[in-house]
Amino acid sequence: MTKDDLFNDMARAIVEGDRHAAEALAKEALSRNLDLHEVVEKGYIAGIQKVGDLWERGDYFLPELITSAECMKAAMAVLRPALERARIADLSLGKVVIGTIEGDIHDIGKNLVASMLSANGFEVSDLGADVKLERFIQSALDMKADFICLSALLTTTMLGQRRFMELLKERGLRSQFKVLVGGAPVNQKWADSIGADGYAENAPAAVKLAKSLRGKR
Amino acid sequence: MNLTLKVLPQGRSIQVRKNTVLIEALHEAGVDLISFCNKQGLCGKCFVEIMKGKRPEPGAQEKWLLARKRLPGNFRLACLYRMTGDLTVRIPEEATLPLMPVLKRGFRRVIQPNPAVRKIVFAPFRPDLASPLSLSDQIRAHFPRPGKKASPALLKDLAVLLDDSYGTATAVIYDGAEILDFEAADTAEQNFGIAIDLGTTTLVAELVNLNTGKTIDVVTALNGQARFGADVISRITAVFQDPLKSEALRTAVLDSLKAMIEGMLKKHRIPVHHVYEVVLAGNTAMNHLFLGSPVKTLAVSPYHAVFSALPPLPASETGLLMNPRGKVYVAPNIRSFVGGDIAAGLAATDLAHQKGNFLFIDLGTNGEIVLKKGRQFTATSTAAGPAFEGMNISCGMLAVPGAVYKAEFRDRLKVMTIGNRPALGICGTGLIDLISLYLERGVISPQGHIQGGEKTISLGHNLFLSQKDIREVQLAAAAVKTGIRLLLSLDKLAVADLDGIYVAGAFGNYLNIPNSMRLGLLPRLDKKKIIFVGNSSLAGAKALLVSTQERARCERLAQKIRHVALATDTAFLKTFIEALEFRAWT
Repeated sequence: MTKDDLFNDMARAIVEGDRHAAEALAKEALSRNLDLHEVVEKGYIAGIQKVGDLWERGDYFLPELITSAECMKAAMAVLRPALERARIADLSLGKVVIGTIEGDIHDIGKNLVASMLSANGFEVSDLGADVKLERFIQSALDMKADFICLSALLTTTMLGQRRFMELLKERGLRSQFKVLVGGAPVNQKWADSIGADGYAENAPAAVKLAKSLRGKR
Repeated sequence: MNLTLKVLPQGRSIQVRKNTVLIEALHEAGVDLISFCNKQGLCGKCFVEIMKGKRPEPGAQEKWLLARKRLPGNFRLACLYRMTGDLTVRIPEEATLPLMPVLKRGFRRVIQPNPAVRKIVFAPFRPDLASPLSLSDQIRAHFPRPGKKASPALLKDLAVLLDDSYGTATAVIYDGAEILDFEAADTAEQNFGIAIDLGTTTLVAELVNLNTGKTIDVVTALNGQARFGADVISRITAVFQDPLKSEALRTAVLDSLKAMIEGMLKKHRIPVHHVYEVVLAGNTAMNHLFLGSPVKTLAVSPYHAVFSALPPLPASETGLLMNPRGKVYVAPNIRSFVGGDIAAGLAATDLAHQKGNFLFIDLGTNGEIVLKKGRQFTATSTAAGPAFEGMNISCGMLAVPGAVYKAEFRDRLKVMTIGNRPALGICGTGLIDLISLYLERGVISPQGHIQGGEKTISLGHNLFLSQKDIREVQLAAAAVKTGIRLLLSLDKLAVADLDGIYVAGAFGNYLNIPNSMRLGLLPRLDKKKIIFVGNSSLAGAKALLVSTQERARCERLAQKIRHVALATDTAFLKTFIEALEFRAWT
């Protein structure tokens, strides 16, 4: 199998949600001593990007998204030791702190965003649900995060996103992080009105948004 | 600066302040434009035609909605339109709230009347000159049982109405313990009460003869609180942001109820003062908003309520149109998301007295599910979202005249509308039929994907289903499915162990059982074991109004029901994701 065929198969394994194939191909890449940077970029990431496209076209829905993200995770687990040995750190697209805001325990959407960001190469720290505003800030400072993602599923708890923006400003930390907001009642208008850096309607859109904001200030 | 807004087809002119949002101005003027998204520009229901005046460039979402609805370029969303100059708009018929939702009567069981309000006729006697008994002592002689003595205000009225004649009088006794009122002459036959289903979208009031338990009339109307938000959470948010709104919300629902009660009483020539009791059943938030209780805690974790069961309240404190000396009883809330409407529904079906294992499902924006295993009850709620009420669906609408409620395939697609009117949109049961039919034909895959290149399914009559619509139904059905699955697994029951499923809620008898089972919305069970109970909240409110035994039973049941929160169940996500597939239960 040529290298390109292998990459195509990797992408296909992710798109089709074939976890066995995704893992087996990762092992093959290791045994063939391939450039892991290339393997990740041209094989797996290409696959998960295709998944995002299929979602955008309406062909894929949550189950497909989750299966693909899980395949991605499995393949990366195979590659991780070698990646670390090779010190390929520049594969990370950035550090993300994510959580559902205080008062809100809904976390399906947030979990999806977290796993898609992670599948696409972001380093994600998921704080869970009902997270105090203070904890978002502390965690972001601790891990030197690039992004803080706030989820809210209720119009009531959504107001916490605004309070978070105010808190960030009070602390003089506004310029240190990019803040992305999401959740069923949230929209672009709301994101603009509270001065967040961006809004994404769903997990693949969040990936796109985070990528587009990378390195910008 | 004031601007002039002319509204067609009524032709009315309204003075509006600059920068007012158009939908607000129209609502202010009493034009009930629909908004299902809390005026966020998302649902596309409030399009109006700009006849004269500025037409700002539509935003991306608005443009997309315009194209999807195939509307001409001079339509704009009223919720996004800020008035900057004089304006003439035409309101399309489908953009205003339908006045009369369709009445759905469900299953009713016979309840032996035993009302809290009793009218007892008595003959006051002229006190003896030698030792004239006071009126209050005389009342005590007539009614030794009521523990509470007649209040000074009541005695004053009695003194006036006896007016030296000492003729026949009627005492109104509550629960055998309290004298509510005195009436002149024999009014024993005039004993009326009203049962109310306090729905988030629709209010239903039933006028009942308390002596016989017979229904005199039923009327429905839309809940006036809708202008503060279509769903419970957005109404709570309105109060959240401005505590003064609590009173406005209370007044809104009271006004709606007042109009309904007034109309019904007038029609049957019943004086308001002959209504001594009203029983209401609503979800926990609606019950709170009706009484003006704080709702903040209902929408923030850990989501607790202020009250569950309440004693009957003095009517004068509630503001309802009825005899101010009467009583108002609110069906007991089970938990924050399983309210008095469900407690009433359980009373209506008398589930507690049936042998076996049963599911009770109320399908609405919030899907409430109760599982009865032997004598044990477990309840949960699941956020189905408003798709089954036709909201967030491109061509969706409430189950009102003109809504496609049923569809069949005979050579070609045939749709049936409520009231046999020209098709205006699709309601929940219509959606279920349509998706099931196209699933059967392979046009929609079990994963919910519309096959082939097209992203929409055209249904004729200018109606269509989009890929996103199908996703919304997948989410709604999966929420219900997940709730049922988790409750069954918690109690270690299989579907085959069920003796029946009661289906309550807006769907009524319109829900097609085989189609619902094909989507997996209902578990596969013998068709005869599926029992539609229609508006069980209303039927239950009536049971609680007519019988004090039913009331006591209902309160005991509400106390003992176990409640589980699905969101904290570790199996929730996995079960939910699996449930997104359209597949019959195995």
